[in-house]
Amino acid sequence: MATRNRTVVYRRHRDAVKSVRAPLFSSASGSGGPVIEMASLLGSNRSSYAPLSTEDPGPSSRDAFTVGLPPSWVDDSEQVAANIQRARAKMAELVKAHAKALMPSFEDGKEDQHLIEALTQEITDILRRSEKRLQKLSASGSAEDSNVRKNVQRSLATDLQNLSVDLRRKQSTYLKRLQQQKEGPDGVDLEMNLNGNKSRLEDDEFSDVGFNEQQTVKIKKGQQEREREINQVVQSVNELAQIMKDLSVLVIDQGTIVDRIDYNIQTVAVSVDEGLKQLQKAERTQKKGGMVRCATVLVIMCFIMLVLLILKEILF
Amino acid sequence: MVLVSAVRDYINRMLQDISGMKVLILDSHTVSIVSVGYSQSELLQKEVFLVELVDSIYKSKEPMSHLKAVYFLRPTSENIQHLRQQLASPRFGEYHLFFSNILKDTQIHNLADADEQEVVQQIQEFYADFVAIDPYHFTLNMPSNHIYMLPAVVDPSNSQHFCDRVVDGIASIFLALKRRPIIRYQRNSDIAKRIAQETAKLMYQQESGLFDFRRMEVSPLLLVIDRRDDPVTPLLNQWTYQAMVHELIGIQDNKVDLRNIGKLPKDQQEVVLSSEQDAFFKANMYENFGDIGMNIKRLVDEFQQISKSNQSIQTIEDMAKFVDKYPEYRKMHGNVSKHVTLVTEMSKIVEERKLMLVSETEQELACNGGQVAAFEAVTNLLNNESVSDIDRLRLVMLYALRYEKESPVQLMQLFNKLASRSAKYKPGLVQFVLKQAGVDKRTGDLFGNRDLLNIARNMARGLKGVENVYTQHQPLLFQTLESISKGRLRDVDYPYVGNHFQQGRPQEVVIFIVGGTTYEESRSVALQNASNSGIRFILGGSVVLNSKRFLKDLEEAQRIARSSTAVI
Repeated sequence: MATRNRTVVYRRHRDAVKSVRAPLFSSASGSGGPVIEMASLLGSNRSSYAPLSTEDPGPSSRDAFTVGLPPSWVDDSEQVAANIQRARAKMAELVKAHAKALMPSFEDGKEDQHLIEALTQEITDILRRSEKRLQKLSASGSAEDSNVRKNVQRSLATDLQNLSVDLRRKQSTYLKRLQQQKEGPDGVDLEMNLNGNKSRLEDDEFSDVGFNEQQTVKIKKGQQEREREINQVVQSVNELAQIMKDLSVLVIDQGTIVDRIDYNIQTVAVSVDEGLKQLQKAERTQKKGGMVRCATVLVIMCFIMLVLLILKEILF
Repeated sequence: MVLVSAVRDYINRMLQDISGMKVLILDSHTVSIVSVGYSQSELLQKEVFLVELVDSIYKSKEPMSHLKAVYFLRPTSENIQHLRQQLASPRFGEYHLFFSNILKDTQIHNLADADEQEVVQQIQEFYADFVAIDPYHFTLNMPSNHIYMLPAVVDPSNSQHFCDRVVDGIASIFLALKRRPIIRYQRNSDIAKRIAQETAKLMYQQESGLFDFRRMEVSPLLLVIDRRDDPVTPLLNQWTYQAMVHELIGIQDNKVDLRNIGKLPKDQQEVVLSSEQDAFFKANMYENFGDIGMNIKRLVDEFQQISKSNQSIQTIEDMAKFVDKYPEYRKMHGNVSKHVTLVTEMSKIVEERKLMLVSETEQELACNGGQVAAFEAVTNLLNNESVSDIDRLRLVMLYALRYEKESPVQLMQLFNKLASRSAKYKPGLVQFVLKQAGVDKRTGDLFGNRDLLNIARNMARGLKGVENVYTQHQPLLFQTLESISKGRLRDVDYPYVGNHFQQGRPQEVVIFIVGGTTYEESRSVALQNASNSGIRFILGGSVVLNSKRFLKDLEEAQRIARSSTAVI
């Protein structure tokens, strides 16, 4: 697709105009201008989610509008963004830990389990904290900024939701594979023991169909472990479901009317209109409010009483 | 995909090199251009956290210097004025200006004058000056479309404005596609000729450097034709999904506004019908009403299956699966409700206005049938109480367009009956249509009764019988597409501009209909493109017409024509 850059022509003309204007105004602005331009051009290459730089304290030419620091809620949003990055890094670690735990190994693999548990717990913690902070975001700040704030909230909420779904999916695949693996060795174990039992049965006269003690213990231990794992899964599913429910309120559904830019501009205009009407109505109600009427009545009564008092004095 | 992806590429390029939090400022035209190709959630991903209109009076005066402003505007003088005011007292930290078409040097100088604070970082021209509603269909959403029906002398400044806007739109299409075309136009249409010549002047003389792209073996073709060559297609009632929704309810920038239609739940009052985002719509937009009913029923059954399986959650795994699939489920729910609502509302309207009956006669008038039978049918429908005024008007117009030379007495009778029955009918409108688009004014063979080959074809079709009475009409554009595919578009009817000439068949063709396109025509183009004939067609117009809009344009033009002193 074709584009055309007119910046050069523009700058040339702007500089020409400035040199005409400069002798009329203070000369400081003229020399300071190009320097600031260069600085801001150099500073414009950043990665996303990086913290904003504070604006250069410009020379007199910039005094016309206050170069301010960004409002405080931006710090909160940046924190959430940083948390999301950290959670992503931890997820990558978790994937590696899952893969390691699934590989056949000679040891018990207990510390792998611990590592996985710890990581999962950490990630869920980060997500929950970020979500709480995100909710707080809407409460603070001025009304002017509200649209920007709402949109920042939405975008971070979408990211958080995607992360949660991702985490859950990874967990469930890991567990499925783990279960498959466990079936394998246990099945073989049971089989071997059963064979052993059969051989003993031939010797023994009691045709005991049940499991012997050794197997019962093993099965019980397997069951306990599985119960523990299942409880873990249930807990994490619950937590994530809660997070998702909270976030889904904030997230936009793709493909619906709410996802259309022109619809959002329209609703802003409409709601500002409505806001104005409400304010006017409130003003009117306040004017003819009960308080004012009460006060007026009381004042009138005072006057009447005063007049009566004076009359009483005069007459008696 | 071509048009929509061009617009998306432009917007991506605008936003990707600017880091940090951004605010996007659009004007009333570029809002439509951006909204049909880019969604709010995608903007949020690109860190655009606020979208405003350049002329919004609700703009707060609070400076937000931590935001960078990205402006995407049309290069009109009003926008330049707004920009000058805003550059004089800047609210944002940086300003990046993008214009959707070619800037004049004076406009650049004006902006440079106003930029005392030197907040503007770049000015670029990104040529996305059209609304890409479907992959091969664009529109320009022009407000005073009716100007094209009047000769230039009646209102020279508005006519010039109209032509300029059309030329800008066409130029931006070719700049986005990086091509320079051979231009042909419809011989007997003055406005088509004017637009073709001005476009040629722009592309080959004024901005020939900008349009100097790598030459292909066969140049693409731009064909500029006039709506009045085929006045029948916008007047007909439609029975394929997208065209029908536009005809009965109205689609604007791929949005359908159902608020006036009836009592609906809040999230169904305005819906989006976009083939890019809705797979069901993409598969069904060109199907006829009966098939759509069946497909929607199938969709509803599928959905009921899924929701039933969601009800029975027994184990932990089921619960996990439910939480996993919940976003998809919600999306499907919204989609199904949307389509069910649309089809229900349309069925209601068809029932009320007795459109099955009316449309049968309309199709007979447009396609075949004898004059006597047609006259009887139209008279009966005019006498029928439940037929609405607009439908009566359409029937008489279609009859008049077809049989204007046969039996003028009966035509007069119909005019009188129409005037007596319809209270709101503006007298003389049908005669106006005949003056604008009568048989003497038309180039193409609208009713297939001009040359022997077409007459024979019609007779064969009549004998064979049609599959579906309601969709038997083919727009005239279909014949034009066929002629171009075979390389047989007649020079006499569609001459070249200047000394261009083309051997053989073009591989890319852009057809621009001055006065507006219809969704029936865009369906023909899409089906032709899908048939892999080796040629890619793109269709565009000044607006997208339905019968209401076409009649409104006619009324406006008639009103101006009457009140002006120039002779038509």
